Amino acid sequence: MERTILLVDDEPDIREVLDIYLTELGYAVHTAENGEKALAAFHRTVPSIVLSDIKMPGMDGIELLRRIKSENPETEVIMITGHGDMDLAIDSLKLEATDFITKPVNDEILEFALQRAEERIEMRHRLRAYTENLEQMVEEKTSQLLESEKMAAVGRVAAELSHTIKNIAGALKGGIYVLGRGIEDDNREYLQRGWDMVRGNVDKIKNLSLDLLNFGKGEDLQLTVADPLVPLAEVLTLLQPKAAERDIALRTELAEGLPSCCFDPESIYLCLLNLVQNALEAFDEEAARSVDREVVVRAFKPPGWAVAFAVSDNGPGMDNDTRDRLFKGFFSTKGTRGTGIGLTMTKRIVERHGGTIEVLSSRGTGTRFTICLPDNPQ
Amino acid sequence: MAKKKILVVDDEMDMRFYVTALLESNGYQALAMRDGKTGLQQAREDRPDLIILDIMMPGDGGVKMYSRLKTDPALADIPVIMLSAVAEPSFRHFLAMLNTQNAQPVPDPAAYLEKPLDHARLLDSIRQTIG
Repeated sequence: MERTILLVDDEPDIREVLDIYLTELGYAVHTAENGEKALAAFHRTVPSIVLSDIKMPGMDGIELLRRIKSENPETEVIMITGHGDMDLAIDSLKLEATDFITKPVNDEILEFALQRAEERIEMRHRLRAYTENLEQMVEEKTSQLLESEKMAAVGRVAAELSHTIKNIAGALKGGIYVLGRGIEDDNREYLQRGWDMVRGNVDKIKNLSLDLLNFGKGEDLQLTVADPLVPLAEVLTLLQPKAAERDIALRTELAEGLPSCCFDPESIYLCLLNLVQNALEAFDEEAARSVDREVVVRAFKPPGWAVAFAVSDNGPGMDNDTRDRLFKGFFSTKGTRGTGIGLTMTKRIVERHGGTIEVLSSRGTGTRFTICLPDNPQ
Repeated sequence: MAKKKILVVDDEMDMRFYVTALLESNGYQALAMRDGKTGLQQAREDRPDLIILDIMMPGDGGVKMYSRLKTDPALADIPVIMLSAVAEPSFRHFLAMLNTQNAQPVPDPAAYLEKPLDHARLLDSIRQTIG
């Protein structure tokens, strides 16, 4: 490729000689007799190399160098200096001149200086290509990595889901078998049990699909300033019949004058729905009892938090092992009914808010879940 | 001849009922327990002819119960069929890892069946094990 060179010297003789010489070397040569004209030519021809005398009337070589470097730092500028211009030569190097050669100009030294300039241009090109490549590579690798991490997360969820569905399918098959034996042997107990198994597992599939639908809801919070008692009231209205059906007293203790705070009402509604539902269902596992069944929901303002909700039941409680596994996705204590998604989702929603969830439980006394939400969710 | 007695240990109520119904309607006497701890107690009291054991159960899981059974001289000769959603290679790997730490290595179970339960295969395994 032919390179363009701009030659600047106030002496016509030198311009002529160097013009011929540079043209012979294969450059497209433009010439200028002073700094001002050189700048105009620089703008017009955009040379990759400028060869300039250092001492010129008007704008001198140093000033020209400064202007060129500030406009296009990649231009290679070679200064031509006279004897005794050593200080100027050093100044020019400080201003990032590529090189300087002394008058009278020796062909070999000029050629050597040009070669160095060429090498620097070449190197810069390669470096730029390499950097661009590198950026592209980093981008590609990053997106591949992100994709594989996403796939790994999807894989984990899919594996757990597959396990849950396999269990449901197994239990359905069991129900069908037991029903079949009941019909064959005309066994009333088998018929009833088989029917319960089929019905329970069909419900479970329905719950699983609903839970999966809600599972993504913790991802993006729709934060608004609202009364924290509103989602709670909805949950209580919805679940009162269920409590009555099970002969459980569902009571509330709500602090007065709770200030509005910033949270996502829909996802907090899901959390509270989960906790109260769990509390009601906790009684399903126990047989006879002497004390009245009771679920108490409290809302209050603990120091340092915007609001706290506590859901307590006086049901059978949990042992340590069960409690430790509670929040680990897809773990359910509810046999055929639970999917194990609810608490994992609840924990995630609360933590997205920057809040905390705690559980206190012991065998025989019951369980209490407490959610605290902060004043300023992240 | 007295019916052979089989102990079923599984935390899922439906599964316990499914397997006991299957066993009873095939001429066995079945009893069921919901975790490894009560399962082991029952095995000591009742000396069943066979144990069908799940792995993942809250509290004492099936692996713990299995290694206790196999290291107790009074119970070690009761055959055990594992019936679990855990893949067989995972269980075997786990057992091998356990055996590197145990002074007394735990033998493989009489059979390993993966859930979902294939009742024909379970009956075959039972017949092969205890007739």
